[in-house]
Parts: sequence; C-alpha cells; structure tokens
Amino acid sequence: MSDNQLSISIPPALRTGRSKWTKPATYTGLVVIIALLPLLVSSPYMLHIFILTLIYTIAAVSLRTIITSGQFPLAHAAFMGIGAFSSGMMAKWLGWSPWLTIPLGALVTMGIGMLIGYPFARLRALYYAMGSLFFGMGIIYILYAGGTWTGGYSGLTGIPPLLPIGTSKVPYYYLFLGLAIVSLLALYRFEFSRIGINLKAIAQSHLVASSVGINEGWYRILAVGVGCFFAGLAGAGYAHYSLVLSGSSFNFLATLWLVMYVLIGGKDSFAGPIIGTVILVLIPEFARDLKIYTPFISAGILLIVVFLIPQGLVSLPRLIRSAFTERGKGKGITHAS
Amino acid sequence: MELIVATLTNFLILSSMYILVALGFAFLFNMLRILNFAHGAIYMVGGYLGLAFIILLGFNPWIALLLTTVIIAAFGLFLEKFCFRPFVGDFNRIVMVCIAISVILQTAVNIIAGTKTLALPPFVEGVLRAGSFSVSYERMVTFAIGAALLGLITWFVYRTKWGQQMQAIAQDMEGASLQGINVHRISALACFIGCGLAAVAGCLMGAYLRLGPFMGDLMLIKALILVILAGVGSINGVLIAGLILGGLDAVLPVLVSGAASDAITVGIVVVLLLIRPQGFFGYEVEI
Repeated sequence: MSDNQLSISIPPALRTGRSKWTKPATYTGLVVIIALLPLLVSSPYMLHIFILTLIYTIAAVSLRTIITSGQFPLAHAAFMGIGAFSSGMMAKWLGWSPWLTIPLGALVTMGIGMLIGYPFARLRALYYAMGSLFFGMGIIYILYAGGTWTGGYSGLTGIPPLLPIGTSKVPYYYLFLGLAIVSLLALYRFEFSRIGINLKAIAQSHLVASSVGINEGWYRILAVGVGCFFAGLAGAGYAHYSLVLSGSSFNFLATLWLVMYVLIGGKDSFAGPIIGTVILVLIPEFARDLKIYTPFISAGILLIVVFLIPQGLVSLPRLIRSAFTERGKGKGITHAS
Repeated sequence: MELIVATLTNFLILSSMYILVALGFAFLFNMLRILNFAHGAIYMVGGYLGLAFIILLGFNPWIALLLTTVIIAAFGLFLEKFCFRPFVGDFNRIVMVCIAISVILQTAVNIIAGTKTLALPPFVEGVLRAGSFSVSYERMVTFAIGAALLGLITWFVYRTKWGQQMQAIAQDMEGASLQGINVHRISALACFIGCGLAAVAGCLMGAYLRLGPFMGDLMLIKALILVILAGVGSINGVLIAGLILGGLDAVLPVLVSGAASDAITVGIVVVLLLIRPQGFFGYEVEI
C-alpha cells in the first residue's frame, strides 16, 4: 500500500514508469500465480496448508475491518467458531445442504455480532478488548457445554462435506480461492466506501466524528457486523472442509494469533493482514521438519517485526528505501500511524 | 459437611492463588498500562522450575520454592528492561512481544518436560482430622503462604516508600517522575515482585493441582478478569474481585457440571463489565 502514500504526495504526471494499469496488472498477475499453484504443488498436504491460509486470510482481513473503526476485538476466532458450528449443526441436524448453510452461518454470526455490538458499543478501547475477550471465552464454554448438539469437549463430527466425499483438494482450493477473492474485494470496497471513511473518522476521534453528524454507535455496530459476517463465512467454509470441529480451535489463543496476523503485516494497510497471514502460516509450515521446534520460528518472526519493523511487514519496502535516501537517514518511518 | 469443607478450602486456595498471580499483573497494568500476556507463561515456568529443583536436583522443597521465586523474579527484571521498557505506550507491540515470550516459554517447557502432566510433591505431608471432616496440611500451608504474601504485599504497597512511589506512578507517571521518582527503577521493582509472586503461585498450584505447559493460559484469563473487574489503581479491588471469582469457581462446579459453570462465570463477568466498564474500585483510564 506504499503506492497510496505516493499518490497523495506526487501528482500523477510526475510519476515516471508507472501507468494507471501497473497496480491492477500486478494484482491480476498475483492472482494468476496463486491460481496456478495447484499445478506446481501436487502434495495434498501443501494444498491443505494453502486452503487454511486462504481461510485465515479472510478472517484476518475481516478482523482488520473492525480494527479500522477504532475497536480492538479479542473474540474474532470465537466468531469464526459461531459461523463454523452454526453452519455445521444446521447441515448435520437439519440435513440442509452446505451450500445453503454456509451463507446462513455467516448471517447468524453477523446477527450475534451485531446484537453483542449493541451493549458493547458503550465500552471503549481496552475495556472493549477485554469485554470481547471474555465474551469469546463464554462462547467456547457454551460450545463445550452443548452436549450432543455441539459435540461437547470431543467436538462436532460427521459434518456433511461441501463437495462429494472423495474429491481431491484441488476443487476445494479453487472454491476457497474464489471465496477469498470475493470476500477481499467486498471488504476492500467497504473500507474505501463512505462508510469505511466514517469508520476511520470514528477511530481517529469519536468526539469529532459525532460532532459532524456520524452516528458513532451505529457505525461501530455496523463494522462489527461486517467483520463478523466474513469471519463467520470463513468459519463456516472451514467447517464443511475439515468436517470435524472442536471448540478449542476457536479459543482465546486462536484469536490472539489472528491479531498477530494483522499486527505482523501492519494494521494500517489493507494488504497487511494478507501478508501477515501468509508469512505466519506458511513459513512455519516450510520448517515443519523441525517438528516441535516450529513455534520458535513464529515467535522469532514476531520478535523481528516488533524490534525492527514497527509498522509491520508492509512497511518493509519503504523502510529499506528510506534507509538508502538521505532524507530518511536515521529516522526510519516518520508517518503517523 | 465433607462437601462444604472441601468447597471452602477450594475457595480459599483458589482465591489466594488468583490474587497472587493477578497482583503481579495489576502492578504492571496500573503503572505502565501494559497488559502482560506472558504472565501466565511465567507462572507456568515457575511451577516447572520448582519441579526441576525438587525432582532433578533433589533440593528441599522450601529451598526450591525460594530459589524458583528469586530466579523468576530476576527474569522479570530482564523482561522489564528489554521487552517492556522500549515499548511503553505502544499497546500493539507490547502484545506482540508478550505473545512471543509466552510462545517461547511454552514451547521450551513442552520440549523439555513433554506434554504429560506432572505434579510437584506436596510441601507438607499429613492430614488434619477434626471430628467428621479432614483437611490436608498441604492445603492449609498453601493458603497460609498465599495469605501471608498478600498481607505482606498490601503492607508494602500502602506503607513503604517504594510502594507509595508505585502508587504515585500509577496515578500519573510524568507527575511522579517530576517529583524525583525513578520510574524505570520502580517499574523494574514491580516486575520483579510480580514475576516472583507468579512463580510462588505456580509452585503452590503445581503441588495443589497439576502442572501442564498450557496451564498458564487459564490463569492469565483469571488474572485479566480480576484486574479488569477491580479497575486501575486498586489493590484492594483485586483482593475483593479475587474472593468473588474464587468463590464462583469453587461453588459453581458443585452446582452445575462441567463447562457450563465456566460459561456462567464468564457470563457474570461480562455483565459486570457492561454495568461498570471502568471496574468497581479503580478509576477509568484512556489507553
């Protein structure tokens, strides 16, 4: 997203070597490369990891959508869990088709998120984060206590698959790739719409935003609703892909890792959570020969980013560029976050 | 009768241990506005270190407890100097550092000790019998140590010079440093004490319940609940919130089975938070 910064300061006529097609062409190229991955990688395990990356990308980007409104929710994995369990339970106990229950699960998540968002709108900053954290814990305990309906501690099994049993990973990969592209486009459009700009105004100062006529409470609830819809979508997709759900995969730690994906990449940019997810999910997987030692790699990435790249991995090119120019020498990045 | 005595001892021990862990967490939160997500892992490492001293090196349990406390407290000094001090005021980076530390500690313990649950040998043998009910000395000692430490810390915070300096920093960091208080030194002291308390609680809980590499996560949540319910800047609030949470955790499993009791506890906490977001005893802060 460094290009956004450039386009503000430099008039288009002065930019050399970049036409207005550069950016769309780059993104299309990236999507084509990602779409061709199954041809290059044949191992089902790697495809499985890619699918998980896509699912977590949707969740992380939707988490960032809520963060842009100045709220810091620590219940996002629990919302994924609501989507996953509601879709899985509807498909299993009512016998509905997964193609119907996945959007329904996302809607259920959105409804619960907005209902919860209403009382939570009076909490701010840290208190909002803590309240949502305890709420997420509560959801997980309810899932554990659900008996046969939710599978209790042993988890929900026997969820109908999205595609017929025996389908290889490749169709699933394209399905989730399509889902991810559609979700990301929708969230991108949302962020740069009038609503998204209002949300950023609320994040900067809720008093100023209210004084110019932005209904703070409603917009905060709306942001939570949109974020939860896509989190629920990702969770519901995951339910009908993995076919086994356990409450423990949506607990407080899962939420913290989603937050890490956003913070590693950089929360000030749309590309941040995408980069963060890819880095934090794929790199430990490439090092999986180390088995039990792999968490050290994730922790190492976190420490490197915290100490050396404070604005997140998105700012890395800018950081390198500024290190070579006289202007930025010794200062690093100076723009306000 | 048997059940009532068991519930009561459970209540007292759980409360005192929750408060011990939460106090260290509260010190950092009050003074530096840091949410130390690594506190649970430090508590867990305390338990395992005590186990290593007792089982591998064959120390007397009491000496092991003392050594563990000192070592973990010294680790707290390291944490404050290199991981918290550079990032004070930057919530996101503090969270990332704490998660990294927590992951490193948990993975290290997981590799060294394995995922199988272990337990510390009891500090004292024997059971006190009085009439129809019985309480093991182990539990009484655990509670006695917890209560004594709580009294000591309360006295320290309210009556000594360092404790009052800690309160001053909690109220206004810049104002405190203008009055000649060395903020860094007092923060280091707070981190030292906090980690030491967590280590004591880890050892005692390791003997009372079990040890596991991920036992800290649950304790971290309890500490968070206590600190948030109490509010910023209140030590007494932490004590009262600890008694309430300990009571809920001791009584509810008797009445409601399994995870439902946890769900009820968390539900009560969320409702309390919604009623009074700034906590019941402290004051509201902007973070």
